[in-house]
Amino acid sequence: MYQSFLSWRFLTARRINWVGIIGVFVGVTALILILSIMSGFLDQQRRMVRGTLSHIVIEPSPLPHIDGEPLPKSAKPLLSAVLEDERVEAACAQLSWFALLIQGGRGSAYSASRLSDTTSAKLVGVQVVGVDISDEFRTTELRAALELPPEGMSFGHVPVDDPDNPFAAPPGEDSGGPWAWCIVGQQLAIVHGLHRGSEINLGTMVPDPMTGEVRQSNRKYLVAGTFRTGENESDLGRIYVDRAELHDFLATGRDYSQVLVKLHDYEADGEVIAKELSSTLAAKRLLRSADMNEVKTWEQYRRNILGAIENEKVLMAIMLSLVLVVAGFSVFAILTMMVAEKRRDIGILSALGGTRSGTLWIFLLIGFWDALLGATAGAVAGVLGATYIDPIERAISEFFGVQIFDRNVYLFDHIPAVVDPVSVAAIVLGAFICTLLFAAIPAWRASRLNPLEALRYE
Amino acid sequence: MSDSQILVAKDIRKSFQIGDREVGVLHGAHLSLNRGERLCMMGASGAGKSTFLHILGLLERPTEGEVLIDGQDGWSLGNTQRASLRNRTLGFVFQFYHLLPELNALENVVLPARIAASHGDSPLTLQEATARAKQSLEKFGLENRMDHRPSQLSGGEQQRVAIARALLLDPPVLIADEPTGNLDTATGGRVLELLLKEQEERGLSMILVTHDPRIAEACDRVMAMQDGQIQSDTGVEIPH
Ligand SMILES: Nc1ncnc2c1ncn2[C@@H]1O[C@H](COP(=O)(O)OP(=O)(O)OP(=O)(O)O)[C@@H](O)[C@H]1O
Ligand SMILES: [Mg+2]
Repeated sequence: MYQSFLSWRFLTARRINWVGIIGVFVGVTALILILSIMSGFLDQQRRMVRGTLSHIVIEPSPLPHIDGEPLPKSAKPLLSAVLEDERVEAACAQLSWFALLIQGGRGSAYSASRLSDTTSAKLVGVQVVGVDISDEFRTTELRAALELPPEGMSFGHVPVDDPDNPFAAPPGEDSGGPWAWCIVGQQLAIVHGLHRGSEINLGTMVPDPMTGEVRQSNRKYLVAGTFRTGENESDLGRIYVDRAELHDFLATGRDYSQVLVKLHDYEADGEVIAKELSSTLAAKRLLRSADMNEVKTWEQYRRNILGAIENEKVLMAIMLSLVLVVAGFSVFAILTMMVAEKRRDIGILSALGGTRSGTLWIFLLIGFWDALLGATAGAVAGVLGATYIDPIERAISEFFGVQIFDRNVYLFDHIPAVVDPVSVAAIVLGAFICTLLFAAIPAWRASRLNPLEALRYE
Repeated sequence: MSDSQILVAKDIRKSFQIGDREVGVLHGAHLSLNRGERLCMMGASGAGKSTFLHILGLLERPTEGEVLIDGQDGWSLGNTQRASLRNRTLGFVFQFYHLLPELNALENVVLPARIAASHGDSPLTLQEATARAKQSLEKFGLENRMDHRPSQLSGGEQQRVAIARALLLDPPVLIADEPTGNLDTATGGRVLELLLKEQEERGLSMILVTHDPRIAEACDRVMAMQDGQIQSDTGVEIPH
């Protein structure tokens, strides 16, 4: 076809066409890179939002069952009922309460003075979570959180002597009293200068379920080590202790506040299972009612923040698509110029028997080549760039001697990037559509030109 | 219209709209061209010769009148068919050569065959067309110029390339609008000689616009155009 032959010649003869190709290239590369990194960030964020949760959260109402019978005070019946379902892989009970970190104890004078300084108006509230450690390990990611964090993240890490048994007194440690051991978030340990064997004093207030009277109590714990989940809120404000120990300390009500459930295949039918659990457990009088939202998937549990993340992604994609519009516009500008320049040639083609649609195709095809070359190179560069963003960033940072991506700020050990083939395909397709639409305008004008205007006078 | 006439134009009128003024250029021009005939058209500048040629060549639509090419009314056809007819039956040689600057000499000559292929009725494959194009370029003394761009060729060379292009598909009618008008006398003479020789050998019909009476002498018939009409269309009598 003379159209494709000529469009290629017109394309390669004029160096200005590089501008169009590079425009598409830069647009596609940038879009893929940025979306991949954004996806990576959002994925990380999602994972962190899930954080210390498992797949399903069961939070029984404090009220009795709707027929009036109080819910059991022990987690045992609920746990065994949940485990009866064969789609459930593991479950654990947690007792969770809030406490004030009143003062650092032995070996933490620095934080002791800080915490007792009333003028700073700083109260350190922490979440104390009582867990059954082996159930917990089977259900959540806590076991992994005790390991040495990845390079760059390990500052402040205090290894637990026996990670499989973190609440046991380390051999040879003098506890200095009958106190229990706990594990604290790594950030918390950094802020308060905690290390292995540090004493912490937790103060709390517990309302009496009968009288409503608030009782104050406090208890000392010893730091066995740190955990790091990557979720800032937990790492900065959470302390794990043994559940029976915490129940003893609080000395009130139920010995659990929620049950976390891990499924064999959450992605497949997590929501359905949550619904079914809700009705079977309510029927067994382990929940107040089947429709009180006492059973939630972790995504329902954290819906607000997850919705925001999804929104962010869509918004980002829409705004970034403007890059493609800019690329398309550069193609439009160049083609408009070329059409003006090629009036005479359009006339010649007409004299040789070319048609209007032939002319249209020549210029549309120039747009097509721009899109093909630019988008292909852009897709390759974008995918490669996103895949190797981490070493690339390190190399650039090293070269310029400036830290571009501070891994500590994000609590990431590497720049997260997720290359989604569907997004890449969509971006390439978008580049084609955009470029061709923009090329179509000058191409249409070229086909409407009166060829003789150009031929008659020189 | 008899079978011997390859091209007939009847009562061609053409006026241009300039602002809100109608300017008549052609006022009922007639023409008939016999097969194998060499027809010369002369006339003062601005008489409307080029306009007439463009209408005959199906490049510009007349305000009135019809153009029959081999019995087919060219202006009643659809755009695409008319383009195809132009491609297969008409060869153009312009005063300013009109080669595509991005293509080399050989590619310029082959272009009509590519366009014919896009109409789906090419008489030649690309290889055949290329071979034929090489042949004529060699014959025209351009064997060392085939891969030169138009900008690297002299005017005379460019016009020879343009002639080779016009002849590629062996169209029955050649339309030449002052083909030597932009060349010096000696070069123009050689180019014209070549054009006339090819026309003779191939038995093509030709309409040639010129201001040069000596060229007119070499024609079978001379027409004079004046005020948008054909004033004399008789024998070989040359108006001086
Ligand atoms: N598109 C147009 N719009 C307005 N006027 C036009 C147009 N094309 C041609 N004309 C006018 O028509 C007249 C005939 O022009 P044409 O080019 O046919 O003359 P010509 O005989 O070929 O002259 P020359 O010998 O100088 O080439 C001129 O007066 C010209 O100004
Ligand atoms: Mg003229």
